Amino acid sequence: MKPTDVWSYALSAIKLRKLRAALTTLGVVIGIAAIVALLSITQGLQTAIATQLQRGFATDALIVTAGGGLGADTGFSLLVNDTETISQVGNVTTALAIIQRVGYIKNAEGKARRVTIVGVDFKAYKAIYGSTFIAEDGADIPSKPENTAVIVGKRVSDPWGNGTRFCSKSDTVEVIWTNTTARPLRNESYTGMVVAVLQEVGGFSLGGPSDTSIYIPITQAQSFFRTDKCEIIIVKLKSDDKATIESTAKTIRSLFGGQVAVTSAAAVLSIISSVFSTMGLFLAGIAAISLLVAGIGIMNIMIVSLMERTREIGILKALGMKNRTVLLIFLTEAAIIGLMGAIIGVGTGYGLAELVVRIFANGGFGGGLRQGGQVAAANVVRITPVLTPTVFLGAIAFGLVVSLIFALYPAWRASRLKPVEALRYE
Amino acid sequence: MTAVVEAVNLRKVYMLGKVPVEALRGVNLKVEEGEFLSVLGPSGSGKSTLLNLIGALDRPTSGKVLIDGADISTFNEDRLTDLRRKIGFVFQFFNLIPRFTALENVELPMAIAGLGKEERRKRAVKLLETVGLADRINHKPAELSGGEQQRVAIARALANDPRFLLMDEPTGNIDSKNASEIIELVERLNEEKGVTIIMVTHDQRLAKETHRTVHMLDGLIVDERVNKP
Repeated sequence: MKPTDVWSYALSAIKLRKLRAALTTLGVVIGIAAIVALLSITQGLQTAIATQLQRGFATDALIVTAGGGLGADTGFSLLVNDTETISQVGNVTTALAIIQRVGYIKNAEGKARRVTIVGVDFKAYKAIYGSTFIAEDGADIPSKPENTAVIVGKRVSDPWGNGTRFCSKSDTVEVIWTNTTARPLRNESYTGMVVAVLQEVGGFSLGGPSDTSIYIPITQAQSFFRTDKCEIIIVKLKSDDKATIESTAKTIRSLFGGQVAVTSAAAVLSIISSVFSTMGLFLAGIAAISLLVAGIGIMNIMIVSLMERTREIGILKALGMKNRTVLLIFLTEAAIIGLMGAIIGVGTGYGLAELVVRIFANGGFGGGLRQGGQVAAANVVRITPVLTPTVFLGAIAFGLVVSLIFALYPAWRASRLKPVEALRYE
Repeated sequence: MTAVVEAVNLRKVYMLGKVPVEALRGVNLKVEEGEFLSVLGPSGSGKSTLLNLIGALDRPTSGKVLIDGADISTFNEDRLTDLRRKIGFVFQFFNLIPRFTALENVELPMAIAGLGKEERRKRAVKLLETVGLADRINHKPAELSGGEQQRVAIARALANDPRFLLMDEPTGNIDSKNASEIIELVERLNEEKGVTIIMVTHDQRLAKETHRTVHMLDGLIVDERVNKP
């Protein structure tokens, strides 16, 4: 029998039981759709976060924090002028100290917002985060600012994202900090002036500019918070290749007798990326179970079909059809169902992913992460589901293979039917 | 004349549950080319079993079936399948594929044999004309009378130019008027085209129309009569 004839014969058998075929196909659709949706969402999430992190990270930067190991508080603190020591290390172009406190900013109308107050050297910060530490109006950020200068993140200036400004450039604002070491607790404050509003950064950042922070000169931060200690020192390297990153990190660690942790942005990125890959695969694995159920559905349908068509198979054999052709016809029927289900499933899955992402974007997801943190601050992460060619083709192939595997047994049984017995079958 | 089909001491034992049933107990038969043979006998006499063995649908327990001199009991499954393409089967219950039209049903054996679409369509139309169904070719079996369905089945049996036709009670499910038309058709095929035919029946009158009749009883041929020279 010619392949085209096998195909049209299988198709005619499927058409005979349209509803049944449709329901069986639906099983495959659901399985494939679940896999594709989960994979494309996690892949999209991974891409979105990686992009945001890269913007807020600078891959040629090292982040130095106090504490040699995991959470061990040794009482050691980094000092602002440790940057001078670090600057001496080879491959280092700039070292920058960051002092951070959670505080408030009060506008001219007397309304206050909770923000992260970050003390940095504006000039050095610009040098490291040249792509994100930029004013929204394109004006230069002053390299030698007044002590009262305040730069605010986009979400501080425009908290609701609709143009209603909490504060704007040239506004006078009050910077407030609760001194928790004083007894009784006391609010310290000074009056500053907004010299720039940053353009939107989006997403997470580690050390880099964040939309929910305000920035003040490091010297001002030192006197305002009454400290010489800093939380983070960011080190910009001459190159972002792995060897430079590793050797410099080692040098800096030994410089402080192992009392500091040196994190490379690149390493953090790769960890996060691998976590998301694992998560995606795990979720897709769970989704694959539903495809197995669909496969069992196919097997069930094929066995029923085999019984219904026993006599037909007997006729075909009496007319000289070979066993392998009977096998091929049954497998082709399963392949048609599997392929159809897989193709519709991929489309449905991607559509589903788009839908889920849209629902999350409209409130669900961003809301929880919008609050600014000590080090990493997050805004709404915009996810676009990603359907890679691998996932696309892989899902279709997977649907097809599962369908074929579960059809093997019924098809084999059909091919082994004895013509005389099949013809006698009522 | 040469023997197209020859059965030599043919035996067939079925297992009916755990009870062995001797359907054939040593049948010897020779069918010449161009002959129209009828096999007469009550139900359970083994005539259908004999037909299945000759038609390569089943294997004998012992004995031989020779088709054109070749012992088919030594054939493997693939060769048996190939052989079936050269045998035309007509069943009591027509055994047409319900979802196919008359034309598609007649095309089916040719499609199985690997014939191209145009060629087999042309041939199927011609065959349906031969059996007098030129105006019903696009009807499905359910839209045809019993007699018409059997004509389609005969056309289908002739599709691959068979060495011989095997008919298992071809009129058993058809009213007498249509039955005689079917027999006329079969006779015409035999006379005009020289098709060798072996027909199983339990209808004495029908058997008389054939060249030769063998009687079967309890798995044996018990009588043989020549009706026409």
